[in-house]
Parts: sequence; C-alpha cells; structure tokens
Amino acid sequence: MNRRALLLAATSLTALPQLEALAQAGQGDPVRPLVLLTRPQAGAPAAYQAAELIAQEWRKLGLLVELRPMPNQAHSQVVWNERQRWDATMWQMVGRPERGDPDELVFNLFHSANIATGFNFVGYNNPEYDRLAQAQRVEMDQPRRQQIVREVQEIVNRDQPYAFLVHPVNLQAFNKQVFAEASAVNQAGLGIRNFWNWISLTPTGRQRDIIVNSTEPVKATNPFYISGSPDSWVTDLVWDRMMRVGPDGLPQPWAAETVTQPDPTTIDCVLRAGMTFHDGAPVTVEDVVFSFEAPGMGNESPMYRPFVQNIESVSATDARTVRFKLKNPDAAFRISVLAKLNIVSKATWAPVLADYQNRPQNLESYVEERPIGSGPYRFVRSRVNEEVVLEANPSHWARPKADRWIMRIITNIEATLGAFRRGEINVIADYTGDPDLLKGMARTQSAMIAIREGVDIGFQFVGMNIRRPPFSDPAFRRAMSAAVNREMMAGAAWNGQAVPSNSLVSPALAAWHYPGIERRVPGGNIEGSRRLLQEAGYRIVNGRLHYPSGVRETTPIFQ
Amino acid sequence: MLWAIASLTFLLFRLMPGDPTLNFLSESFSEEMRLALLISFGLDKPLHEQYGLYMLSLLQGDFGVSFLQKRPVLDILLEALPNTAALTVSALVVAYAFGIIAGAYLAFARGTVVEGIAIPAALITRAAPEFWLGMILLAWLSFGLGIFPASGANTAGSEFTSEWARLTSADFLWHLVLPALTLALYLQGLPLLLMRATMLEVLNDEFIVMARMKGLSRWAIVMRHAARNALLPVATAFALGLGQSFGGNVVIETVFSWPGLGRVLVSAVQGADYPLAQGAFIMIAGVLVLMNMVADLLYAWLDPRVSVGAKR
Repeated sequence: MNRRALLLAATSLTALPQLEALAQAGQGDPVRPLVLLTRPQAGAPAAYQAAELIAQEWRKLGLLVELRPMPNQAHSQVVWNERQRWDATMWQMVGRPERGDPDELVFNLFHSANIATGFNFVGYNNPEYDRLAQAQRVEMDQPRRQQIVREVQEIVNRDQPYAFLVHPVNLQAFNKQVFAEASAVNQAGLGIRNFWNWISLTPTGRQRDIIVNSTEPVKATNPFYISGSPDSWVTDLVWDRMMRVGPDGLPQPWAAETVTQPDPTTIDCVLRAGMTFHDGAPVTVEDVVFSFEAPGMGNESPMYRPFVQNIESVSATDARTVRFKLKNPDAAFRISVLAKLNIVSKATWAPVLADYQNRPQNLESYVEERPIGSGPYRFVRSRVNEEVVLEANPSHWARPKADRWIMRIITNIEATLGAFRRGEINVIADYTGDPDLLKGMARTQSAMIAIREGVDIGFQFVGMNIRRPPFSDPAFRRAMSAAVNREMMAGAAWNGQAVPSNSLVSPALAAWHYPGIERRVPGGNIEGSRRLLQEAGYRIVNGRLHYPSGVRETTPIFQ
Repeated sequence: MLWAIASLTFLLFRLMPGDPTLNFLSESFSEEMRLALLISFGLDKPLHEQYGLYMLSLLQGDFGVSFLQKRPVLDILLEALPNTAALTVSALVVAYAFGIIAGAYLAFARGTVVEGIAIPAALITRAAPEFWLGMILLAWLSFGLGIFPASGANTAGSEFTSEWARLTSADFLWHLVLPALTLALYLQGLPLLLMRATMLEVLNDEFIVMARMKGLSRWAIVMRHAARNALLPVATAFALGLGQSFGGNVVIETVFSWPGLGRVLVSAVQGADYPLAQGAFIMIAGVLVLMNMVADLLYAWLDPRVSVGAKR
C-alpha cells in the first residue's frame, strides 16, 4: 500500500466515529424492535409466508422485526383485548354476501366510535373519515354515496391505517357432466359458493344431488346464531329473507315482493303471497314482524342484535305489508338487515323466546330437532364432522333444480380432489390447496371439470397499532405499506391466487371500488419507502432506523 | 382418577391464553356482545363458582353445552363415539391378530430369510408417520385403483333406519377399510415384536423341551403350548392400546375425513370450546381407565398366578 492510500485509510478510520456521533446527535432514538403478530404457519400458511416477506422488507429499512406466530385464540386475545400492547398484526376479512355493501366495513373498521372495544382495533381516529363514514350511511342517492365511498378509500390510501396486502382469488370447480354448465351462477366476490348457484345448478342426468365440499364443519343450524361460514351456507338455504344479495352484489326483493321507501326512515315490504313454512303453516306478516323484533329482545341473540338496533318499530300495516320505521336513515339497511335476518315461525319461536328469557342461556342455545324455515331447501339431517343434508322444498316459488344439497366435510385437500375425481362430490366450493393441482386436473379432464375464478370480497392486511409510535405517524405507516411488494406476495404466498390490494372495498364490488387505487400505494416500493422515511425525518444510523430529531423511544417492546 | 382429570382439564383450559368469545369476532362484534356471550357461557362467574357448577353437573351426568355448537356435549360425543369405536376396534383386532400370528411364526423362524425381511418391514410400518401411510394408501387404492372411497364414513346422503343399521351396513364397512388398514399397519408392530420376543423366551422354557420330547408336532408346540403362554403381555397391550387409541386417532381421522372423537377434540381445543373439550377428555380418560381395569382382569384371568389371593 502506498503512503497516500495509508493516509486516506487512517483518516477515514479515525473520522468514522465522529461522523456517526454527528449523525446521532441530530437524531432521535433508534426505533425499538418491532413484533409482527401472525397465525402459525400450519394454521395459515399463506398469511405466515406473507408476514415473512413483510418482515424481510421492513428489515431492509433498518428495523429489527420479529415475527411472532400465535395460536388463533391467543392472537385474537392480544389484538382484541390488549389494544395498547402490540405493534402490528396480520389479519383478514373474509368475503360474505352482506359485505356486498361497503357500509359494514367502512363504518366498523375505521370509525372512531369503534376504537375502545369495536373492530377499529388499530385505533384509527380521523374526524374527516368519521364524517364521511357517517355520511355514506345516510346518503340515499346512489351516485352520491358511491362518490363518498371513493373519498373514504382515498383517505384510507393517504393514511394507511392498514397496509392492505391482497384480495384472494377464489378458485372453485364443478362437474359439468353432472350439471349444465350454463346453469352455474357466479356471485360477485363469492364465486359459485352462493345461494343463487345452489338453487340454479341444473342436473343433466341421474345424479341429481349437489354434493359440495367444506373444509370446516357446520357447528349449528339456528336462525338466530351463526358461528362460521359453513353455518351461514345452510341457514341461507333453509330460511327465507325479505331480500337477498343478488349475483351482482346488490340487494333484490326475495320474500318481499316489493320494497319501497316512502321517506329515508320508512321502509315498506309487501310479503310474497302463498308462502309456507316447511311444516305447511303459512308465512304471515306476524312472523316477519316477530323475526325482526326477537333479536332485539334482551340479549337473546347477541349475533343479530346489532342489526336491529336502528329499527325504531316494525309493524304490519295490512295482511301483507310490513312497515319498518328507522331511528336514523340507513342506506345499507336492505343488505345489512333485510337480506340478513331470517324469517322464522312465530308459533315455534315465541314460546321458546319466552322460555329462554327466564334462563341463563340465550336463544342461541335452542336446538330445533328439525329446523323449520320457509326457504328453498328443507333440513333433513346433520352428522357431526361428516355432512349436512338438505332436500329441495317442492312448494317453494323458487324450487331448486337439484333434489338435494349435501355438504361434505372433507378435511384433507388431496382427498377433496380425489373425491371430486371419483364423483363422491360434484362441486368444490372451498379450496385452499395448490391452484395448479386443480387447474391441471381441469386441463386433463376438460370434459368433466369446469373451473370458476373470481376476486374475493375479503382481503388480507397488516393492522398497524396507531396507539404506539412509530405507527402513530402516518408517514411511517405509508413507508411500511410502500415497502410491501404485493405482486410478489400474491405469487409467492398465494400461488398466484390473489391480486394486490390497497382498499377495504374489493375490486369484486365494481359499484363501490375505487378503480386503480391498488396501484396508488404512496411510495410504491422499497426505494419509495426509504424516501418517505427520509422526508419524514427518520434516518438509518449504523444500520438501525432512528426516529426524527428529538423523538425518544418510550414505548415498551412487545413481550 | 376421573375427578383429577376433570379438575385438571377444567383448570387447563381456563389458564390457557384466549377468550372463547373471540371466536365470534366480526366487524359488528361489540363489547356488549362479548359480555352477553360471556354470561351465556357462564364465564362471568368467579372461577371457584364455575368449578363448583361444573363438578355438580358432572355428578349428574351433565357435560354441559358446547360453546360453539350450542348442543349438549354428551350428544356430540355420543354421535362421534361409534365411528371412533368402529375404527379403533377393527384396526386393533386386525393389527393384533396379524401381529400375534406373525410374531409367533417369526419367533419360530428365527434366523431365516423371512425374519430378515419381516422384522425391518414391521419396524418401517411402525415408524412411518400415519399421515404418510394414509396418503399412500389413499393415492393407491382410492385415487388410483378406485377401489375405496376417498373420505367420510358413509356415501354422501345415504339413508339408514338406525345407527346400528348404519354401522353394520356394507357402505360403512367399505368406507372403514382404508382408515382401519392404515391404523392397523401402524399398530401391528407392537404386538408382532412383543409376541416374537415373548415367544423366544417361552420357547426356551423347560415345558417346551418336555413337549418336544413327548414328540408333539411343531404346530401343537407353537400354538397350543408356547403361544398361549406368550399371549399374556400381548393381551394386556391390546386392552391398553384400545384405551389409548380412542383419543389418539386424530391424524387418521383427518387424512380420511373420518368423523370421530379425535377431530371433535381438536376442533374443540382450537376453538376454546371448554365444555366440549373437557367432555371429550373425560370420555377418553374414562375409556382409558376402563381398559386399564380390563387389562388387569384379563391378565388375572389368563394367568391365575397373578390374581389377588392366588396360591403361590
């Protein structure tokens, strides 16, 4: 080494600590090690892998990030009941028909009224957002409401209370040698796992049963209680509702022949003539009134009670008309109430309700020997962890084309494919396995298998705890969200069965989704993320990210 | 014993992190709803009060109501029990019948090529993971050859006049073959090796030498004299294995979507469904205790020398 090089080396070696000291003098404390909560790999492999990718990217920004897998129950316990304690968590919202209207998500996820004990567990508090969330609730003019929902998505994009990750793409299949292919009905955001498909699928040969798989068992069949998705597939078919969420995601009259709204707080429903329950008794307006009153009586139906709290009164104005008077205008009332509550027989349930009001248990604990509804399918039997069997109701005005609807509980994905190929089931509506396997099977057996794909209403996200710095800083949240490579995540973690997300309203809901918002994550990549942090005053010193000048780290590390 | 297990499971679930009301998390979930659920589960009461009520109910044969399924726990367990019993008993009978005969034969054929192949084969099937064995059999006999069904205990939508008619139907037995065969393959190693080892000991006993000297046939020596004496530990292992297998078939039940007690237990634990999980544990423990007792009685019956008060 020559003399000049030696001198340079010596200078730089001695100067380095001074430069770091200078840099540190103008900086805040290093950000504490952050913990990202997730479900274990065995329970949610895609979400776990996504969490690994996120942690990897966040580490590139100078953060110490620990991935903390937790069993489902313990995870929910921390996120829900210990709101001050955690930093960030993987979470998901699953697709359900009633989420076809954005109100449930827009209001409950981010309105400040839900910070303390409701679903706003990240603690997002923005008066401007609150105002818009309330406004879309009472806006009866559809174009104006759509505009408000877009503004809501714009605010969410700006503030990034969640780092939205992906909307899963549903992959489902049915046997087109058993059912006419044209008779299958897709519902926006749900695919062929929907009410309309179950009454529409038309058998073409001797096999006249719809035999559909589910990876989860049905837990209960009770019109006042729902404990999981498969439960609602069954209640959907056994009990009628005044309205249904249509294939396009919009509400349409069902047991109600017409639904009119004389003013923003009054809704009149004319009940379809000639309806009967499965035991032959007629469905009357008294049954309808009771069905909407019962969930509000005491705490008899905690699951359904929130949906009737805006009803001031419900009454029969004539032999076929039921009038709902609302406390406040509610634009989502048709989907979130009329299309959600089941019509039950007053003769059956009124004595049960009276009895349960004197018991410690509530109405959810009542088990009908054979559930009686008025829906297009009648309940036949349920065998624990094996199957649920329904049969077509011949006296229904929308009589199903199939004879029976059978849900088989199959816990093994490979066995699901094997059972489908062998004809033990003829619809795969719940598939969480490798998409290439099913698609490959469809290619080799193209005469038998029809595939349906569609973006789900639900989404996966990272919830960032806004109560805890540095997540309390919107610039930091934007940078964290920008660092996530959603395209790569959709490919690697979801095997390509997902699309990037940046909104609580899925692109499956074309009427409400803000087109192109998924490409507008502020920053948009790891370099953009570094730039956002730099602009907000954060600095990387010795490989560790430091708060802006003067900011001390006082938040305890999650243990 | 059952009181201790009941108390332990009661405490265990309540000490685990997790709130059973959070199974119902949705965007409309509220604190009011959570409290209502807590009350309906009886979890609003102090722990000692919950324990007192629980033990009192147990004494009356009431296992409580499932938090998630909202049905009496006993009904759910009794619905799953026949499937588990059929799977366990059939697999154990096959495994032990095969293990006893093969073990006795291998003891007799010691040092032969047959032993050189059979012992590693038995050890491999014993050591192979159940899910792997199950998937291999599924892929081969169900997906490939199409001989057996891929899942469940009955064909979809099949009707039966009674539970007994279902359990004795050809359809049920057809569905039972693959899961029972997998479990039997997994279980056969123990009786086979146990029988072989005991037979080797017995074959060196003086009474066997005497039998040989008397000119008895090979078959008579092995089956009538040696095997009967070698059966004692195998019979005990059978009774104990029966008790253990009742709660331990979770993997097989999951691979074959078999609607048994193991899956009920797993989903109850995952969902913090305390009453159902407690009930399942107590039922499994009850079967285990019962089978221990049966093993003791069986041993005393097979070998009167070990019974209490026996003349020595």
